Amino acid sequence: MTLVEISGMERHYVMASETVRALDGIDLSINKGERIILLGPSGSGKTTLLNCVAALDNPTAGDYSFDGEEVPRGHAEKMTTFRRENIGYVFQFFNLLQDLTVLENILLIQELSGQRDKKRAIELLTLVGLEGEVNRFPAEISGGQQQRVAIARSLAKKPKLLLGDELTGNLDSATSSMVMEVLVKACESEDITVIMVTHDESLAKYATRVIRLDSGRIISDEKVSN
Amino acid sequence: MSMLLTKRLARSLWRTKLRLSAVILMVAVGVFAGITFGSYAHAAANLYEEIYDSEDGVNLPDVWVENPVGIWNESTSDILCQSISDEWPEAELSFQNCEPRLILNGLMYHTNSEGEEVLIPGVWHGIDEGEVDKVWMPTESHMSSGSLATTETEIVLDSHTALGMEIDVGDTVVLGAGHGKKHYTVVGIGFHSQHLFFSQEGVLLPAEAGTFATGYMTDTGLERLANLEPGDSNRLLIDINGTPPYDLQSTDENEGEELNAIIAHIETIVNSLDDAPSSAHDRSGVESVELLRADAEGAVKMFPYVTGMLAIVAGITIFLSLQRLIQSQAKEIAVLRTLGIPKKSIMPGYVLAPIFIGFVGSILGTILGVYVGAPAMLNLYGEMIGLPISIDVDTGLIIQNVSIALVIVMLSGLRPAWQASRMQPLEVFRGHHEVKLSSRGLQKITASLPTTIGLSIRSSLRKPMRLAFTFFAVGLSMLLFGSMFFMMGSMEDMMVGSIEEKQNWDVMTYVYPGGENAVIDWAENNSVQYEPMLTFPIGLQNDTRELMGYGLEKISTVDNGETMIVVELKDGTLPQNGATPPQILIDEGTSKFLEWNVGEKRTVMVGAAPVEVEITGVTKGDVTRTIYFHRSDLSEIVGIEATTVLLQLPEDGNTEGLAEVTVGLVIKKDMIKSFETLLEKQQKMLVAIEALGIVIAIVVLFNTLLMNLSERDTELATLRVLGAPIDKLGMMMFWEHLAIGIVGGILGAIFAYFGTVAMINSMVQWAFFFTVEPQISSVLLLVGIVTVISIALTPIGMWRIKKMDLVEKVKDLSQ
Repeated sequence: MTLVEISGMERHYVMASETVRALDGIDLSINKGERIILLGPSGSGKTTLLNCVAALDNPTAGDYSFDGEEVPRGHAEKMTTFRRENIGYVFQFFNLLQDLTVLENILLIQELSGQRDKKRAIELLTLVGLEGEVNRFPAEISGGQQQRVAIARSLAKKPKLLLGDELTGNLDSATSSMVMEVLVKACESEDITVIMVTHDESLAKYATRVIRLDSGRIISDEKVSN
Repeated sequence: MSMLLTKRLARSLWRTKLRLSAVILMVAVGVFAGITFGSYAHAAANLYEEIYDSEDGVNLPDVWVENPVGIWNESTSDILCQSISDEWPEAELSFQNCEPRLILNGLMYHTNSEGEEVLIPGVWHGIDEGEVDKVWMPTESHMSSGSLATTETEIVLDSHTALGMEIDVGDTVVLGAGHGKKHYTVVGIGFHSQHLFFSQEGVLLPAEAGTFATGYMTDTGLERLANLEPGDSNRLLIDINGTPPYDLQSTDENEGEELNAIIAHIETIVNSLDDAPSSAHDRSGVESVELLRADAEGAVKMFPYVTGMLAIVAGITIFLSLQRLIQSQAKEIAVLRTLGIPKKSIMPGYVLAPIFIGFVGSILGTILGVYVGAPAMLNLYGEMIGLPISIDVDTGLIIQNVSIALVIVMLSGLRPAWQASRMQPLEVFRGHHEVKLSSRGLQKITASLPTTIGLSIRSSLRKPMRLAFTFFAVGLSMLLFGSMFFMMGSMEDMMVGSIEEKQNWDVMTYVYPGGENAVIDWAENNSVQYEPMLTFPIGLQNDTRELMGYGLEKISTVDNGETMIVVELKDGTLPQNGATPPQILIDEGTSKFLEWNVGEKRTVMVGAAPVEVEITGVTKGDVTRTIYFHRSDLSEIVGIEATTVLLQLPEDGNTEGLAEVTVGLVIKKDMIKSFETLLEKQQKMLVAIEALGIVIAIVVLFNTLLMNLSERDTELATLRVLGAPIDKLGMMMFWEHLAIGIVGGILGAIFAYFGTVAMINSMVQWAFFFTVEPQISSVLLLVGIVTVISIALTPIGMWRIKKMDLVEKVKDLSQ
């Protein structure tokens, strides 16, 4: 069942005297439950595509529908509402709020989405293996643990699609593996579709599909059998 | 010092233009206020110097001998002067001159603009040779003109009177002093030492135009008015060679010991030769002189504090801004350090920055101070006291203020500069300089609150030092606002409220000894309620300070219609009539300055005679130093029944025939109107100062909240990317600003209260005393103002979030 349907998506930036075509006609269809990894060199358009999918950025041209509905563009609050209702996001640098404990970081997102649910927050932390760290501050746990909290946080409001931008880029390889395993487990358990941007080819083993981009275009799109 | 590094810093500063402008504004405000208040202080001090101490001034006497209730004839005053000269003690201070003088209360019959004849209370001086205490007619001032009176039908009107009533040289005025009306031609307009601060006797605020009159005629001119004999007098003005130091009432030490000894000696001579209880004092006993001196002294003492306080607020703002700048530039500094740039190359730029900011702010503040603040302040001061004030700003004053500002802002930049140079590159690259473990205690306290509120509280307290500095700076700015606010309220209560509410008379008439019966007859014939009162100056043993003794017909704390002056008791009980020794009440100021307390027996001086009294209570609300007696007790001591009769007029307020039986009068509604007009004028100035305080509080809070927001960009961007709606983030920010506002407001009110108390404690002296009693409504208003300022900054924060470029932020968050 199709979750994301993109056709002819373009995103142009005017830089000094020239126009950069960051996305140059992307056609992409993503089914529910897929775990997609976007690979490509710097400047290939991976992050731009991720931003457009997240409704953080407005495509210059093309169509984009999510779960059968057209995704709002050009209206910041409608785009925010779309993100709140559908998207989870995990950053490279975790970006946990340092003044809140692990548990509170998750509760905050729930509160801001209007649905505080402490039981679910603890379940999510258990899912990512951090049930023993709920009352610690981010500065008191390791980088890998922080990223697992960030994953739990992004799942807190039951998103349909989880986006990750170089989410293991700040971690060593052992920790990266652990985080990816947690992510796969959590997303399978919650039935969440995943799109991750990375430079790390080795992460392909955690994906069901690998898409390669270059110069704003999809140059390959392969299913992965794990 | 590398020019490129300095250029880089300058560009970084320029990127925070809004904060930079706020900081420059703070310095400018400090210098502006310093120059403005300093000009006032200098003008007040120069005026005092010019009038009283310069050779072109009035030649102020050094000792005044007063006969408060009687008149000396020519022979007696000659004998007194001769004896004082002959029996002058062996001392370094040598006798120069003794001049008898006649000064009488009286009336002016003035036809107002509506054609009605109104009675204006007045004081008339008969000035004979005029060697001492001369009429002051500054030639270069438009406020004086004409010449001195030389015949018995001529008069020099005081400038306050003439300008206030639009009387010119050549006009005729009609005066009285208990013996009918007399016409005088105005030949000059000038000033006199006793009325430079143009207030009625016993009043600390200048009278409004048209409510009080004074004039200076020849001695024969005044004798004609009062139907007295040639040579009659009631003052002896004694001049000593040079200008001997005298005991300043505002200090604890006695600066005029030698003069005091001479005064005591003169008192003994006068009282041994004459039965009338006379008293002698130095210039501190002359209200007008003392009030101008106290005003000048207070202003000179106060203005460096005002400048310093504002410069400290500016310094704090600079300190916090530079710290934030360094924090935001940490990675750049770390890169520079990694590349081998030495500490000594990093530091100078950050030291130079505040000096540059201080310099720009100082130039701006100087221009505003010299061309706007000082002229406005001096004009207002001149208008309020009715004296010629030259509008000049001393260059030394500018240098002094700019120096204070530059030193403080330079000091404020030292620590941030030192921190910048001490930054450890590795720590910065690891992000350790940014991550600070939140307080576990605070987490526990706020754990049960909704996470959004908990986060608001913890974020607010994340930088306790910054928050403390901000509260301190807000407190200081509120001190400026609140002290004016509290002082204004207290002064209004004491000056106007105490007379309006605790004094039930409509007219206070002055009478010569025995003259009260004529007024009482007039009152009985006109069905007017009356109450005789006796006022008499009371001295202290071995002390030149004087108090005013009030003999009240009945002493009461209850306004039940039985007494026209109600006292407010702070401590003790009311005195019993006819007790031995006489029982008295003293005012709060007297109790404080003399350390006299309830239950004690003390000796006061009535003329040269010591009298033991027992203190039964302490009153509050008296601005001047006061002793309350039962009238019969005081009368027994001084041998006079009354000096004043208080009257409650009927509805129509008819006073026909009253002027003929009294030597002078004070009309309560005119006096209150005068106070209100003056307070209104003062309010203009105080409102300007209050506005300054609010502007500073806004700038300080704005600066801090802007820094808080910019510091939280990452957090807020994360929440926005995760779908947090603006209104929820706005609500979070609202709670945070509300908390900061309330705490800042409470601290501001506390600062303002204690600051005002300290300021008033440094200002009050023997001549005037008052206390601050802040109303809860005033405190709430102060807290409310800071809270509103803080909350009003929430939309700015929301606007900042709205315009956040999330795509760029995500790049920062993920790369």
